[in-house]
Amino acid sequence: MIWAIMIVTGFATFLMRFSMFSGLIHRALPPALDRYLTYVPIAVLSAIIAASVFISPETQMPTIWNTRVLAAVLAMAVAFRTKSVIATLIAGLGVLWVLENLF
Amino acid sequence: MTHPSPKSEFIQGIMDQLPLQLGVVPFGLVFGVLGMASGLSAWQTILMSSVIFGGASQVVFAQLWMAGAAPIIVGSSVAVLNLRHVLYSVAVAKYLRLLSLRWRILLGYLLTDEAFAISIKRFEHDPTPRNAHYHLLGSGVTLWAFWQLSTIAGVVLGATLPAHLNLDFAIPMTFIAIVLPSLRHVPHVLAAVSSGLVAVFGQSLPYNLWIIAAAITGIVIGAQAEKWKAQQ
Repeated sequence: MIWAIMIVTGFATFLMRFSMFSGLIHRALPPALDRYLTYVPIAVLSAIIAASVFISPETQMPTIWNTRVLAAVLAMAVAFRTKSVIATLIAGLGVLWVLENLF
Repeated sequence: MTHPSPKSEFIQGIMDQLPLQLGVVPFGLVFGVLGMASGLSAWQTILMSSVIFGGASQVVFAQLWMAGAAPIIVGSSVAVLNLRHVLYSVAVAKYLRLLSLRWRILLGYLLTDEAFAISIKRFEHDPTPRNAHYHLLGSGVTLWAFWQLSTIAGVVLGATLPAHLNLDFAIPMTFIAIVLPSLRHVPHVLAAVSSGLVAVFGQSLPYNLWIIAAAITGIVIGAQAEKWKAQQ
Protein backbone atom coordinates (compact mmCIF):
# COMPACT_ATOMS: atom_id res chain seq x y z
CA MET A 1 0.00 0.00 0.00
CA ILE A 2 2.71 2.45 0.96
CA TRP A 3 4.49 1.79 -2.32
CA ALA A 4 1.33 2.60 -4.26
CA ILE A 5 0.85 5.92 -2.41
CA MET A 6 4.52 6.76 -2.85
CA ILE A 7 4.48 6.08 -6.59
CA VAL A 8 1.23 7.97 -7.18
CA THR A 9 2.50 10.94 -5.13
CA GLY A 10 5.84 10.87 -6.91
CA PHE A 11 4.15 10.80 -10.29
CA ALA A 12 1.87 13.68 -9.31
CA THR A 13 4.91 15.68 -8.21
CA PHE A 14 6.63 14.95 -11.51
CA LEU A 15 3.54 16.04 -13.46
CA MET A 16 3.45 19.35 -11.59
CA ARG A 17 7.11 20.00 -12.39
CA PHE A 18 6.69 18.90 -16.01
CA SER A 19 3.23 20.39 -16.65
CA MET A 20 4.02 23.75 -18.19
CA PHE A 21 6.60 22.50 -20.68
CA SER A 22 4.94 19.13 -21.28
CA GLY A 23 3.70 20.21 -24.70
CA LEU A 24 0.14 19.45 -23.58
CA ILE A 25 -0.43 23.16 -23.05
CA HIS A 26 0.10 24.67 -26.45
CA ARG A 27 -0.65 28.32 -26.00
CA ALA A 28 2.34 30.48 -25.31
CA LEU A 29 2.00 32.30 -22.03
CA PRO A 30 1.00 35.97 -22.26
CA PRO A 31 4.03 38.29 -21.92
CA ALA A 32 2.21 40.15 -19.14
CA LEU A 33 2.83 37.08 -17.01
CA ASP A 34 6.59 37.63 -17.15
CA ARG A 35 6.44 40.31 -14.50
CA TYR A 36 4.75 37.85 -12.15
CA LEU A 37 7.13 35.00 -12.90
CA THR A 38 10.19 36.94 -11.81
CA TYR A 39 8.70 36.90 -8.29
CA VAL A 40 8.37 33.10 -8.13
CA PRO A 41 11.74 32.35 -6.48
CA ILE A 42 11.49 35.17 -3.91
CA ALA A 43 7.89 34.39 -2.97
CA VAL A 44 8.23 30.61 -2.66
CA LEU A 45 11.55 30.59 -0.84
CA SER A 46 10.41 33.36 1.53
CA ALA A 47 7.37 31.27 2.46
CA ILE A 48 9.58 28.29 3.30
CA ILE A 49 12.04 30.46 5.26
CA ALA A 50 9.29 32.19 7.25
CA ALA A 51 7.59 28.93 8.21
CA SER A 52 10.90 27.39 9.34
CA VAL A 53 11.92 30.43 11.37
CA PHE A 54 8.73 31.88 12.85
CA ILE A 55 6.87 28.67 13.68
CA SER A 56 8.03 27.32 17.02
CA PRO A 57 9.10 23.66 16.69
CA GLU A 58 7.73 22.98 20.19
CA THR A 59 4.28 24.57 19.99
CA GLN A 60 3.75 24.76 16.20
CA MET A 61 2.52 28.32 16.80
CA PRO A 62 3.77 31.62 15.34
CA THR A 63 6.46 33.28 17.43
CA ILE A 64 8.56 36.40 16.98
CA TRP A 65 11.10 35.70 19.67
CA ASN A 66 13.00 32.45 19.96
CA THR A 67 16.48 31.20 19.24
CA ARG A 68 15.63 30.41 15.61
CA VAL A 69 14.41 33.95 14.93
CA LEU A 70 17.59 35.40 16.40
CA ALA A 71 19.79 33.00 14.43
CA ALA A 72 17.88 33.78 11.22
CA VAL A 73 18.18 37.55 11.70
CA LEU A 74 21.95 37.24 12.05
CA ALA A 75 22.08 34.87 9.07
CA MET A 76 20.14 37.44 7.02
CA ALA A 77 22.66 40.14 7.90
CA VAL A 78 25.50 37.83 6.88
CA ALA A 79 23.71 36.85 3.64
CA PHE A 80 23.11 40.51 2.81
CA ARG A 81 26.74 41.46 3.33
CA THR A 82 28.57 38.40 1.99
CA LYS A 83 26.09 36.82 -0.51
CA SER A 84 27.80 33.59 0.58
CA VAL A 85 25.81 30.40 1.21
CA ILE A 86 28.60 28.96 3.34
CA ALA A 87 28.98 32.05 5.54
CA THR A 88 25.19 32.31 5.97
CA LEU A 89 24.84 28.67 6.92
CA ILE A 90 27.70 28.76 9.40
CA ALA A 91 26.33 31.97 10.96
CA GLY A 92 22.77 30.64 11.25
CA LEU A 93 23.52 27.14 12.54
CA GLY A 94 26.45 28.38 14.64
CA VAL A 95 24.43 31.05 16.43
CA LEU A 96 21.57 28.64 16.98
CA TRP A 97 23.95 26.05 18.44
CA VAL A 98 25.56 28.58 20.75
CA LEU A 99 22.19 29.96 21.93
CA GLU A 100 20.73 26.54 22.62
CA ASN A 101 23.75 24.90 24.18
CA LEU A 102 25.63 27.60 26.05
CA PHE A 103 22.78 29.57 27.58
CA MET B 1 26.71 36.66 -29.46
CA THR B 2 28.60 33.49 -28.62
CA HIS B 3 27.04 30.90 -26.37
CA PRO B 4 28.86 28.82 -23.77
CA SER B 5 29.24 25.17 -24.80
CA PRO B 6 26.95 22.47 -23.34
CA LYS B 7 29.87 21.16 -21.32
CA SER B 8 30.71 24.52 -19.77
CA GLU B 9 27.03 25.16 -18.97
CA PHE B 10 26.77 21.72 -17.34
CA ILE B 11 29.88 22.30 -15.24
CA GLN B 12 28.70 25.79 -14.29
CA GLY B 13 25.40 24.26 -13.16
CA ILE B 14 27.27 21.83 -10.93
CA MET B 15 29.50 24.57 -9.50
CA ASP B 16 26.57 26.90 -8.84
CA GLN B 17 24.64 24.13 -7.10
CA LEU B 18 27.48 22.81 -4.92
CA PRO B 19 27.32 25.45 -2.13
CA LEU B 20 23.65 24.64 -1.54
CA GLN B 21 24.59 21.05 -0.72
CA LEU B 22 25.73 22.34 2.66
CA GLY B 23 22.03 22.63 3.41
CA VAL B 24 20.84 19.65 1.38
CA VAL B 25 23.11 17.06 2.99
CA PRO B 26 22.02 17.77 6.59
CA PHE B 27 18.38 17.75 5.46
CA GLY B 28 18.92 14.42 3.67
CA LEU B 29 20.44 13.00 6.84
CA VAL B 30 17.47 14.24 8.84
CA PHE B 31 15.04 12.68 6.38
CA GLY B 32 16.91 9.36 6.46
CA VAL B 33 16.65 9.27 10.24
CA LEU B 34 13.04 10.46 10.29
CA GLY B 35 11.94 7.94 7.65
CA MET B 36 13.21 5.04 9.72
CA ALA B 37 11.80 6.55 12.91
CA SER B 38 8.41 6.83 11.18
CA GLY B 39 8.27 3.10 10.65
CA LEU B 40 9.29 3.05 6.99
CA SER B 41 11.73 0.34 5.94
CA ALA B 42 15.25 1.27 4.85
CA TRP B 43 14.30 0.61 1.21
CA GLN B 44 11.13 2.68 1.47
CA THR B 45 13.04 5.59 3.00
CA ILE B 46 15.86 5.45 0.46
CA LEU B 47 13.69 4.97 -2.62
CA MET B 48 11.28 7.70 -1.56
CA SER B 49 14.13 10.13 -2.22
CA SER B 50 14.14 9.02 -5.86
CA VAL B 51 10.41 8.47 -6.35
CA ILE B 52 9.12 11.70 -4.78
CA PHE B 53 12.42 13.62 -4.77
CA GLY B 54 11.25 16.54 -2.66
CA GLY B 55 12.59 17.13 0.84
CA ALA B 56 9.70 18.80 2.61
CA SER B 57 7.10 16.59 0.95
CA GLN B 58 8.98 13.44 1.97
CA VAL B 59 9.04 14.62 5.58
CA VAL B 60 5.29 15.31 5.46
CA PHE B 61 4.70 11.91 3.85
CA ALA B 62 6.65 10.11 6.60
CA GLN B 63 4.98 12.04 9.41
CA LEU B 64 1.45 11.49 8.11
CA TRP B 65 2.22 7.83 7.47
CA MET B 66 3.45 7.43 11.03
CA ALA B 67 0.30 9.16 12.30
CA GLY B 68 -1.78 6.59 10.44
CA ALA B 69 -3.41 9.10 8.09
CA ALA B 70 -5.59 7.75 5.27
CA PRO B 71 -3.77 7.30 1.93
CA ILE B 72 -5.88 10.02 0.32
CA ILE B 73 -4.79 12.48 3.05
CA VAL B 74 -1.13 11.56 2.67
CA GLY B 75 -1.28 11.86 -1.11
CA SER B 76 -3.28 15.08 -1.25
CA SER B 77 -1.18 16.80 1.44
CA VAL B 78 2.00 16.06 -0.45
CA ALA B 79 0.43 17.07 -3.76
CA VAL B 80 -0.75 20.43 -2.41
CA LEU B 81 2.63 21.05 -0.76
CA ASN B 82 4.22 20.46 -4.16
CA LEU B 83 1.87 22.77 -6.07
CA ARG B 84 4.62 25.40 -5.96
CA HIS B 85 6.42 23.34 -8.57
CA VAL B 86 3.77 24.37 -11.09
CA LEU B 87 5.00 27.93 -10.55
CA TYR B 88 8.56 26.79 -11.25
CA SER B 89 7.33 24.95 -14.32
CA VAL B 90 5.64 28.09 -15.66
CA ALA B 91 8.74 30.16 -14.99
CA VAL B 92 11.12 27.86 -16.90
CA ALA B 93 8.65 26.82 -19.62
CA LYS B 94 9.69 29.43 -22.15
CA TYR B 95 13.30 28.28 -21.93
CA LEU B 96 12.55 24.56 -22.22
CA ARG B 97 9.51 24.26 -24.47
CA LEU B 98 11.45 23.64 -27.68
CA LEU B 99 13.59 20.82 -26.26
CA SER B 100 12.94 17.17 -27.15
CA LEU B 101 10.44 15.23 -25.05
CA ARG B 102 13.25 13.20 -23.47
CA TRP B 103 14.99 16.36 -22.31
CA ARG B 104 11.79 17.88 -20.98
CA ILE B 105 10.89 14.74 -19.02
CA LEU B 106 14.37 14.58 -17.51
CA LEU B 107 14.43 18.27 -16.57
CA GLY B 108 10.88 18.02 -15.24
CA TYR B 109 11.97 15.27 -12.87
CA LEU B 110 14.97 17.35 -11.74
CA LEU B 111 13.04 20.63 -11.20
CA THR B 112 13.36 20.98 -7.42
CA ASP B 113 13.45 24.11 -5.23
CA GLU B 114 17.23 24.31 -5.29
CA ALA B 115 17.75 23.45 -8.96
CA PHE B 116 15.11 26.01 -9.93
CA ALA B 117 16.49 28.72 -7.64
CA ILE B 118 19.99 28.30 -9.07
CA SER B 119 19.24 27.81 -12.76
CA ILE B 120 16.49 30.42 -13.16
CA LYS B 121 19.19 33.01 -12.47
CA ARG B 122 21.18 31.56 -15.37
CA PHE B 123 18.13 31.59 -17.66
CA GLU B 124 17.21 35.18 -16.79
CA HIS B 125 20.79 36.37 -17.15
CA ASP B 126 20.78 35.59 -20.86
CA PRO B 127 17.51 36.23 -22.76
CA THR B 128 18.34 33.80 -25.56
CA PRO B 129 20.24 31.00 -23.88
CA ARG B 130 21.13 28.24 -26.32
CA ASN B 131 22.68 25.67 -24.01
CA ALA B 132 21.32 26.87 -20.69
CA HIS B 133 19.30 23.65 -20.25
CA TYR B 134 22.64 21.98 -19.59
CA HIS B 135 22.98 24.34 -16.63
CA LEU B 136 19.70 23.04 -15.19
CA LEU B 137 20.83 19.48 -15.93
CA GLY B 138 24.09 20.05 -14.07
CA SER B 139 22.46 21.70 -11.06
CA GLY B 140 19.60 19.17 -11.02
CA VAL B 141 21.83 16.09 -11.23
CA THR B 142 24.13 17.47 -8.52
CA LEU B 143 21.22 18.01 -6.16
CA TRP B 144 19.80 14.57 -7.00
CA ALA B 145 23.09 12.78 -6.24
CA PHE B 146 23.67 14.60 -2.93
CA TRP B 147 20.06 14.03 -1.87
CA GLN B 148 20.22 10.28 -2.53
CA LEU B 149 23.59 9.83 -0.84
CA SER B 150 22.64 11.86 2.22
CA THR B 151 19.35 9.96 2.59
CA ILE B 152 21.28 6.68 2.53
CA ALA B 153 23.77 8.09 5.05
CA GLY B 154 20.87 9.15 7.31
CA VAL B 155 19.36 5.66 7.16
CA VAL B 156 22.73 4.07 7.97
CA LEU B 157 23.77 6.50 10.71
CA GLY B 158 20.25 6.64 12.14
CA ALA B 159 19.89 7.73 15.72
CA THR B 160 23.62 8.30 16.16
CA LEU B 161 23.11 11.79 14.66
CA PRO B 162 22.88 14.34 17.45
CA ALA B 163 19.53 16.16 17.52
CA HIS B 164 21.02 19.30 19.07
CA LEU B 165 22.76 20.24 15.81
CA ASN B 166 19.39 21.47 14.42
CA LEU B 167 20.22 20.03 11.01
CA ASP B 168 16.70 20.72 9.74
CA PHE B 169 17.54 24.43 10.02
CA ALA B 170 20.19 24.16 7.29
CA ILE B 171 17.80 24.36 4.32
CA PRO B 172 16.13 27.64 5.33
CA MET B 173 19.61 29.09 5.93
CA THR B 174 20.66 28.30 2.33
CA PHE B 175 17.38 29.82 1.09
CA ILE B 176 18.16 32.98 3.08
CA ALA B 177 21.50 33.14 1.28
CA ILE B 178 19.69 32.99 -2.07
CA VAL B 179 16.80 35.34 -1.29
CA LEU B 180 18.45 38.15 0.69
CA PRO B 181 20.92 39.26 -2.01
CA SER B 182 18.11 39.15 -4.59
CA LEU B 183 16.01 41.75 -2.72
CA ARG B 184 17.09 44.73 -4.80
CA HIS B 185 13.90 46.83 -4.99
CA VAL B 186 11.01 47.65 -2.68
CA PRO B 187 8.62 45.34 -4.62
CA HIS B 188 10.99 42.43 -3.98
CA VAL B 189 10.90 43.14 -0.26
CA LEU B 190 7.11 43.45 -0.30
CA ALA B 191 6.86 40.09 -2.08
CA ALA B 192 9.11 38.40 0.48
CA VAL B 193 7.40 39.93 3.52
CA SER B 194 3.82 39.33 2.34
CA SER B 195 4.62 35.75 1.39
CA GLY B 196 6.28 35.19 4.76
CA LEU B 197 3.30 36.58 6.66
CA VAL B 198 0.82 34.35 4.85
CA ALA B 199 3.12 31.35 5.40
CA VAL B 200 3.29 31.96 9.14
CA PHE B 201 -0.36 32.83 9.74
CA GLY B 202 -1.74 30.35 7.22
CA GLN B 203 -0.24 27.29 8.91
CA SER B 204 -3.65 26.08 10.01
CA LEU B 205 -4.96 25.92 6.43
CA PRO B 206 -5.80 22.33 5.49
CA TYR B 207 -3.56 20.18 3.29
CA ASN B 208 -0.54 22.47 3.72
CA LEU B 209 -2.24 25.05 1.49
CA TRP B 210 -0.21 27.73 3.28
CA ILE B 211 2.73 27.39 0.95
CA ILE B 212 0.89 27.95 -2.33
CA ALA B 213 -1.29 30.66 -0.75
CA ALA B 214 1.84 32.44 0.49
CA ALA B 215 3.62 32.09 -2.84
CA ILE B 216 0.72 33.49 -4.87
CA THR B 217 0.26 36.37 -2.42
CA GLY B 218 3.94 37.28 -2.66
CA ILE B 219 3.98 37.04 -6.45
CA VAL B 220 0.87 39.19 -6.92
CA ILE B 221 1.88 41.83 -4.37
CA GLY B 222 5.43 42.06 -5.73
CA ALA B 223 4.35 42.30 -9.36
CA GLN B 224 1.59 44.84 -8.60
CA ALA B 225 3.96 47.00 -6.56
CA GLU B 226 6.42 46.94 -9.44
CA LYS B 227 3.65 47.97 -11.84
CA TRP B 228 2.55 50.91 -9.67
CA LYS B 229 6.14 51.98 -9.20
CA ALA B 230 6.66 51.95 -12.99
CA GLN B 231 3.51 54.04 -13.55
CA GLN B 232 4.58 56.80 -11.18
